[in-house]
Amino acid sequence: MKFLKEGIRNEPYLLINLILAGVILLVIAYSGIFSPDKNNYPVVCIHEKLTGQPCVSCGLSHSFSLIVRGRFDEAYSWNIYGFRVFLFFISELVLRIVFSFFYIKYPRTRKELIIFDAVGSGLIFLIAFWPFITNIFGAL
Amino acid sequence: MEEVKNNKGQNLGIAALIVAIITFVLAVIPCIGLIAVIPGIIAIILASVGISQAARNNSPRGVLIAGLIIGIIAVLISFSQIFVGIRIANNAGKWPTDIQNVIDDVHDNVMKNLEDANISIKVENGEDKVEINANSSQKKKMEKTLENLEEGNKTSADTVSTNDTINKK
Repeated sequence: MKFLKEGIRNEPYLLINLILAGVILLVIAYSGIFSPDKNNYPVVCIHEKLTGQPCVSCGLSHSFSLIVRGRFDEAYSWNIYGFRVFLFFISELVLRIVFSFFYIKYPRTRKELIIFDAVGSGLIFLIAFWPFITNIFGAL
Repeated sequence: MEEVKNNKGQNLGIAALIVAIITFVLAVIPCIGLIAVIPGIIAIILASVGISQAARNNSPRGVLIAGLIIGIIAVLISFSQIFVGIRIANNAGKWPTDIQNVIDDVHDNVMKNLEDANISIKVENGEDKVEINANSSQKKKMEKTLENLEEGNKTSADTVSTNDTINKK
């Protein structure tokens, strides 16, 4: 256990993977705990609070909760980008586990693995969050 | 002789990295992106303090630098959400005017069409058929008649009809 703890501390890549996986699991847990039927979400949209107008990510929590419960049609109606963002989180969770395994198993190819991971995850991130990114650049 | 590795600043680095990654995830979502500035700044401070400690004690800085970079990127994305908010606010001010313009246009079109309208009403009841055709060519005359009626003046006819033609079949 101590070896594992020290190993993760000395390997920033493994530590990042572990933290990211933890954050994604928290997002999934948040979607599972809070109910779209009860509408008991603690997080509210700041833009909507300030301006009275919804933003591009409004309804994302509802959408995630509905996806977790298998109600995909309703999830799409709450936020059209909900599905692709949720897929990003799931794919990143899988990638963190797979890449961590390869990182430990094949120490010789670590550098290539990190570059491949950075490029691949960056691309997936851009595809998933493109509507939000264009929203930011459109505002600049 | 075995080299003793100093881990000074590593705990701060891990804390900075955790906060930075959470900040990054929050920052890219417009709804909550604005509040991500606060944990982002905390992550940068933690990473900076950790880097200075690590530099003094010659300990590894990989985690600290990763935390610092992710924290800075997250704060930049979070700051950019302010512009999104400004754009939404600007649109919020513009939308009611746009909607009012559309309503005015529709109202003008409807009024214009009604002025030029030829109205035809057909009523059927069994074998009885009544067809009423009207247009607005006699509008001024009818308005005058209406004014007379409102003032209590008697009109030449007992009944006032806006119909041009009434055909009973």
